[in-house]
Amino acid sequence: MNLEEKILEALKSVYDPELNMNVVDLGLIYGIGTTEQGDVQITMTLTTPGCPLHSSITSGVRYCVEALEETRNVEVNLVWEPAWSPDKMTEEGKRALGRW
Amino acid sequence: MLPQNLGSETNFKLPFSFILFSLIALIASQIMLLFNGQMVTGGSFRIPGIWSAAHLLVLGWALMIAMGAMYQLVPVAFLTKIWSEKLGFIQFFITAIGVISFAVTLYFSPQHALIPGILTLLGILMFIFQMLMTLQTQAKPNILTAFVGTALVCLLLTISLGITLIYCLETGTGTNYYQAIFKSHLLMGLTGWFTLLIFGFSYKMVPMFSLSHGFPMIHARYVYGFYTAGLIITLISFFNGQSVLTKVGFFLLLVGFSIFSWHISIIINKRLKKKLDKPFSFALSAIGLGNIIHLAAFLLLWTSTFNKVIGPLVYAYILLWIVLSITGYLYKIVPFLWWTYKYSKEIGKAKVPALKEMMNEKLIAPVLSLLITAVAVVFCSLIIQSAVLFNIGQFVASIVFIVFAGGIFSVLKK
Repeated sequence: MNLEEKILEALKSVYDPELNMNVVDLGLIYGIGTTEQGDVQITMTLTTPGCPLHSSITSGVRYCVEALEETRNVEVNLVWEPAWSPDKMTEEGKRALGRW
Repeated sequence: MLPQNLGSETNFKLPFSFILFSLIALIASQIMLLFNGQMVTGGSFRIPGIWSAAHLLVLGWALMIAMGAMYQLVPVAFLTKIWSEKLGFIQFFITAIGVISFAVTLYFSPQHALIPGILTLLGILMFIFQMLMTLQTQAKPNILTAFVGTALVCLLLTISLGITLIYCLETGTGTNYYQAIFKSHLLMGLTGWFTLLIFGFSYKMVPMFSLSHGFPMIHARYVYGFYTAGLIITLISFFNGQSVLTKVGFFLLLVGFSIFSWHISIIINKRLKKKLDKPFSFALSAIGLGNIIHLAAFLLLWTSTFNKVIGPLVYAYILLWIVLSITGYLYKIVPFLWWTYKYSKEIGKAKVPALKEMMNEKLIAPVLSLLITAVAVVFCSLIIQSAVLFNIGQFVASIVFIVFAGGIFSVLKK
């Protein structure tokens, strides 16, 4: 398992407390960039701009990745383009919402 | 790309202060209504005990809670920070002292209510100033800005009309316009301020809580147009005394509200979250109830019984539309505020509870169903003027409110 995969796996423990679903299955993680030195840059979004939980969730993502042994500096970039849409969710996430 | 620093950065103590105050005011207003049951069922709404209870309910509970919710929701809905949190805390203390002293003087000595009224007015003016300054910093105004901005103007009119009423009462001037001012005070406060505010924030909260995507927003413009036109025409009709104009005004209000109901149903049908949370479902059912009351008010306006039923209808409108909406959303807002305070630093480090787990959801459906039933009983008792029925209904409603307040307080133990 490479570092990106490890990070993605770890992020499955960070939940959106309103939807009670992890940020990976929700499709909030747009990209993970890493360097050999262990610097990490995560690009992510939220389901709606102005989400009142935005600080909590982005901090949670950073804390979670910082806790991994292989990482050094972690930067979280919150972006709104492309906007989140339901098709970004994983099959697991869609099932959990009971819609598909 | 939008800047990263979006969303609520409001100190949770600010909205929380308003919400805790409002819960105490709610319980006090219910107890006062119980003790004045005999007078109300006799058709006497305008007595000091009822004035006091009504203002505690509307100012102490609904207005304070709306202010608290706005301190929380404005940054969420308009992607901007509160202009001055320090002003927010000062405004809270002034408004709280104003509302308490206003309710006390209305009960014991209504002719001396002018100074407490002015203190309340000062608190509300500070709030309006705070919100207008906050909205001004919004990068791109939208239809939600129109709803909330107009609601704030209506709030200002409500308070000005209320102060004018007290002035008329104290000095004996303007008796010819007393009825018109009184009706306008109710219209601007209930349908202007509260309804427009709930409309505006519903457009943010309904998609957020149901995870709806891909719905049209064009309907919101018609809701705004019809409803505000209805408000203006009804207001004019109160002063020129033309009943035809009142009918036109009530019709436009009904059309605006009906389009809003329809639009919300479109948004809900586009939701991804199949099973909606119980409190949110009740906030949605309040829309249907509000729509029925608007329809009833319009139809009864054509009958001779209108003057007899308008008091009970206003009561039903406050409880089944305004209070039920706010109650439903409060069950979402309070757990969120407390969660943010307790767990926002824990997320990603340790297992944290979901917002749903912050409150006993099993209690919500029976409590709110009982509230709707109790309000229906009180409504019937007012129509048939039965003191026994009123006391039963009001007793149940008061117990429900106390259980509801206890449920909210219990979140603080999580």
